[in-house]
Amino acid sequence: MQKIELMAPAGNFESLQAALDNGADSIYFGVEQLNMRARASINFTLDDLSEIVKRCNSKNVRTYLTLNTIIYDHDLSIVKTLINKAKEANITAVIAMDQAVIAMAREVGMEVHISTQINITNIETVKFYALFADTMVLSRELSLRQVKKITEQIEKEQIKGPSGKLIEIEIFGHGALCMAVSGKCYMSLHSHNSSANRGACKQNCRKKYTVIDQETGFEMELDNEYIMSPKDLCTIDFLDEIVNAGIKVLKIEGRGRAPEYVAKVIKCYREAIDSIQDGIYNKEEVISWMETLETVYNRGFWSGYYLGQKLGEWSKGSGSHATQKKVYIGKGNHFFPKANIGEFKIEAYNINVGDAILITGPTTGAKELLVEEMMVNDKKLNEGKKGDLVTIKLPFRIRQSDKLYKIVENKVEA
Amino acid sequence: MVVITLQRNKCIGCNYCVEMAPKQFQMSKKDGKSVLLNSTNKKGFFTLKSNQYNILEASENASKACPVKIISVKLV
Repeated sequence: MQKIELMAPAGNFESLQAALDNGADSIYFGVEQLNMRARASINFTLDDLSEIVKRCNSKNVRTYLTLNTIIYDHDLSIVKTLINKAKEANITAVIAMDQAVIAMAREVGMEVHISTQINITNIETVKFYALFADTMVLSRELSLRQVKKITEQIEKEQIKGPSGKLIEIEIFGHGALCMAVSGKCYMSLHSHNSSANRGACKQNCRKKYTVIDQETGFEMELDNEYIMSPKDLCTIDFLDEIVNAGIKVLKIEGRGRAPEYVAKVIKCYREAIDSIQDGIYNKEEVISWMETLETVYNRGFWSGYYLGQKLGEWSKGSGSHATQKKVYIGKGNHFFPKANIGEFKIEAYNINVGDAILITGPTTGAKELLVEEMMVNDKKLNEGKKGDLVTIKLPFRIRQSDKLYKIVENKVEA
Repeated sequence: MVVITLQRNKCIGCNYCVEMAPKQFQMSKKDGKSVLLNSTNKKGFFTLKSNQYNILEASENASKACPVKIISVKLV
């Protein structure tokens, strides 16, 4: 069984580092406004490209630039600039939806990946895009049986991309699924003038709705008012079937998620992929991965359309069902490299021996550990309070830009 | 006086302001973001002060249409 590539989201340097530390094979990210997270307050800029490539190259991780919004005439010049800068910085590939982006990237010899928004659902479309791209994301609506037929046909007909290698098929493995057709949606455009297809989705499908017959005023009785908000996709419990379907790349959703989300999800899927490769993938481990995945943001899990089940498993709330949450405690103050001790200034709440803590930062990524002992204002104590300087022995370095959180149980409504 | 402000760095280049107020806004072909014509830049906030009150309605429509709410229109 061939090992598949694990592709991680990177919305900022914290998440990028978390992906690298937890075993991603590739990362995808957006810069400036032409990506599906244009609204995000933190987006990478063109100046970040060299740092992204430097960090990824040091771990042999591939880098993909998302340029997959709809493109207007006034965007063409910035698209060209982005592609040229990406090429200059040695970014591995561009993820594209618009034909202009595909053409421009090919013109400068950049590898192209076809984004899910193109909505490939059959082998003839794969053949068409093979003229331009080496990797293609299939439509989210396909079942694994359909995916497998396509990958088998690629092999049988030896369908190759511009690089001369067989076309690689990528599918979504974990994260948000929405009611849009493979990422294309007009809902928030109609309600808020805010086009999802320009990366400005308002996520109003995630809210409660009622259905009323305007003629009679009859209100349909609904079991669940979140009638447009699917649960999140999770495939870790049938990942062996996914690998068996002949895909080459497994994409994890979540460029808008916190770095600890990226850290945990990538870690679980890394272990799962490796265990399939080693022939030790088993139910016990699946249960343990599922428990870990449930600790970070999720709307409840379902298997998407892959297993050909009845469509639509709807979330029962607008927010996360995560079993854990983080509470801000303080920030990094100093690191003593010889003793491997980190000093933190406590700015809110308190910290106790026995607490599970999370430290995040652009270079640190997202790291969790248990506080076994600590010094508070140079004395060995069990509790640090607001205003205190607390030192903790750490297996990694911290920086002044780092944030310290306490991990606590999140009471989830059934 | 009509005072229009555009916080340009947050623009996602959707073009709606140009559709609503083509005399006040234009899309830049350089970086794909909106340009508030004849405005002055102060730390990324582009401001136009005008005594032509006939630009008010179109500018307000542009402000309402902006999905990232970075256009403000005031009468002072």
